[in-house]
Amino acid sequence: MRKYELMFVADPRLSDEEVVGLSQDFQKMITDEGGIIAKEESWGKRKLAYPINKLTEGHYVLLHVQSEGGSPFGMARQRMQQSDNVLRYLTVRMDAGRLRERASRIPAIPDEGVAPEAVTQTDADSKEDS
Amino acid sequence: MAGGARGSGKKKFFFRRRKVCRMCADKLDTVDYKDIRFLQQYLVERSKILPRRISGTCAKHQRVIQQAIKRARHLALLPYTSD
Repeated sequence: MRKYELMFVADPRLSDEEVVGLSQDFQKMITDEGGIIAKEESWGKRKLAYPINKLTEGHYVLLHVQSEGGSPFGMARQRMQQSDNVLRYLTVRMDAGRLRERASRIPAIPDEGVAPEAVTQTDADSKEDS
Repeated sequence: MAGGARGSGKKKFFFRRRKVCRMCADKLDTVDYKDIRFLQQYLVERSKILPRRISGTCAKHQRVIQQAIKRARHLALLPYTSD
């Protein structure tokens, strides 16, 4: 059983429902080719590192796929290539190996500067001196 | 141009600390292309890939990092260039 990942960047002008629909279409194509969707991760709208087709944002969707015997992406890949709603896609086979643990998940909207870490500082000074 | 400020001073016996591959040190063998925090450590300000002679990464891991950066760039998770 091999693990694969498919990630695609959808047009930001699509609604969330449309993105889900798009993702489901691809999932169906993958399962038709013998793949199993292990997990779906939606990152929501993210700012792109550089503009693509004059767009600066994109919906990121990530699918974890398992498959026995070969890549199950033939149809989905073809469809993504043709679709105007998919700005970018990437399919990779995940090799087993020691990965760095992602201490912090990639935030959904990282363009809001540094995520304000919840610095709960207990005020030691304001301790009551009775 | 071919200045000389390569870190070597006038002194003949310049002590240079030996660089160690960080991935070897941490016993990692793959990098996730989604782990942009990690990959950003291997980019210079202009978003070019940090050369091995600077980062001290071993050849094997440099390849792994390079591949991951290129994948991330394709998905616009990392820039190809920035000013």
